Amino acid sequence: MAGPAAAVAEQARDEASAAAGAEETVKIICLGDSAVGKSKLLERFLLDGFRPQQLSTFALTLYQHRARVDGKPVLVDFWDTAGQERFQSMHASYYHKAHACIMVFDVQRKVTYKNLSSWYKELREFRPEIPCIVVANKIDADMKVTQKSFNFARKFNLPFYFVSAADGTNVVKLFNDAIKLAVAYKQNSGDFMDEVMRELESFDLQNKSEDLSETEESCPEEKPPSA
Amino acid sequence: MTYIAKKCGICFQPPSIILIYKEDDKDKIRQRIMPIRNFSKFSDCIRAAEQLKNNPRHKAYLEGVSLRQLKKFYGLLKGHLGGQSLAESLEQIRQEETIDPEEDMNKLDDKELAKRKSIMDELFEKNRKKKDDPDFIYNVEVEFPQDEQLESCGWDVESGEEI
Repeated sequence: MAGPAAAVAEQARDEASAAAGAEETVKIICLGDSAVGKSKLLERFLLDGFRPQQLSTFALTLYQHRARVDGKPVLVDFWDTAGQERFQSMHASYYHKAHACIMVFDVQRKVTYKNLSSWYKELREFRPEIPCIVVANKIDADMKVTQKSFNFARKFNLPFYFVSAADGTNVVKLFNDAIKLAVAYKQNSGDFMDEVMRELESFDLQNKSEDLSETEESCPEEKPPSA
Repeated sequence: MTYIAKKCGICFQPPSIILIYKEDDKDKIRQRIMPIRNFSKFSDCIRAAEQLKNNPRHKAYLEGVSLRQLKKFYGLLKGHLGGQSLAESLEQIRQEETIDPEEDMNKLDDKELAKRKSIMDELFEKNRKKKDDPDFIYNVEVEFPQDEQLESCGWDVESGEEI
């Protein structure tokens, strides 16, 4: 029963999603103590290609990045804390609908490693299933640490990377892997809340389409947009 | 004309900053004495250092001297004027310039956090490979296997084990 009104609505929705990029969108959040180098890692990965959006009211910095996973374009939203970590916890919206997490500590400062447990605990309260990568940053300051074992990641069965935002070691790999994990999670998530969110989203879209078709019908003199 | 700074130091009596330098294309080593005026034990070292570095008469000579080093000299003078021994002042400056690995920086205010960050930035800048460096490589991958037999970092024991 694809009537003309439905077709117009369909087209309107396609155009809306084309404007929004049409590709898969994932959200990746960064967690960790103050001054562990979260922003520096992002900046090293994105180089000049980043236009961070400072949302100082929310103590939040957003970076957008276009990537390709298996040949398909992916729009990535990186969320960085911009000082919010100093409240020892993040606002619930920070975790909301995140698809992967990058959790950073500073190999020079034990306290930042110790605090991983509380960050991880909070992450799991909001996002029980999303992939989480543990990152040991600043290895350039002391390469010997790469010869040591850090059990936190193993204990929770999480991937673990030694990186340096200064000399670039493993930074690109870290982010590319995080993007892959985020996309894979979004596509196959068994996360109950995600299923619910997806249902709600498609419900929303249906409603919007109906609204649109009604508007179209109520002003018949307006020409439908051409293809 | 460019001046190459060779050495820079402070003299407490009379208070002055002394620069040993040479002119770019000449061999002769010269000395420049820059008197310090209107500085007391209550003065702001960063401001004093900035003023000296931007002083039109000294600017060109101080090109090769970092603001940090000048700030340190003013810090030493300030300590001296406040009755501290040189050793005490040096120790105090050393503490201000090093990171306490045990400190929880989540608890610092903006100003203190910015101070720590600028200390850590020095090492970052030193080790940094910039995009415009000839040997810059965007994707640097190095494997560091986390084998069972590795020595422990020592941070896994004691408290914080329960989660």
